[in-house]
Amino acid sequence: MESAENQTPEPELVAGFSSIRERTIAENSLVILLQGLQGQVTTVDLRDESTARGHVVNVDAFMNIRLKKVLHRDRRGRLTQLEDLFVTGRNVRYVHIPDHMDIMETIQGQLAKSHRVRNFAGGRKEYAKKKS
Amino acid sequence: MADEVEQQQTTNTVEEPLDLIRLSLDERIYVKMRNDRELRGRLHAYDQHLNMILGDVEETVTTVEIDEETYEELYKSTKRNIPMLFVRGDGVVLVAPPLRVG
Repeated sequence: MESAENQTPEPELVAGFSSIRERTIAENSLVILLQGLQGQVTTVDLRDESTARGHVVNVDAFMNIRLKKVLHRDRRGRLTQLEDLFVTGRNVRYVHIPDHMDIMETIQGQLAKSHRVRNFAGGRKEYAKKKS
Repeated sequence: MADEVEQQQTTNTVEEPLDLIRLSLDERIYVKMRNDRELRGRLHAYDQHLNMILGDVEETVTTVEIDEETYEELYKSTKRNIPMLFVRGDGVVLVAPPLRVG
């Protein structure tokens, strides 16, 4: 992951997810792939036909995306530079995936990460089956 | 998809509509989306919300312009190509094998 946050460490950085509910939602959908994009530069196409290109800071289970160092192009093509942008999940139309990314690897990496945390955090055996 | 990798045993029988999409994995498909958009690309992954990962995608946006005087409808389409795209499922209207024109 990229440089450390200056603010109070967010729950995501410590536990991977803010809540068990979020973890379950994310693990059961393709959002988990978007979460593997954290740290990369991508373009997000919004529902209102504008686009935002920047570093992905965080993606949560609801596809809310936080970007930094953003170049925002509105539907007319006007450009705006933004330090920080938060996009609601509902307003996402597309996310461009960087060419070099391996999708399966990223998803499996994300799942492995959250399972490591789960076992470290208390060993409550939520799932009987385990995938290595 | 992540769920299937993790826990379930994937079946080979078609039981529900989403299974039909499973049959199209790694194939080129046609996706009709809201706001007069169409996508043609290779389906790499999908989930129950119809979030999809498409590779080698061509997006077609169709607009209708009405001529002020003649009231003629002028259909214009804009295309663009994107190597790898994540599509949010709530924009998807239908998924089908690629349409054969002519």
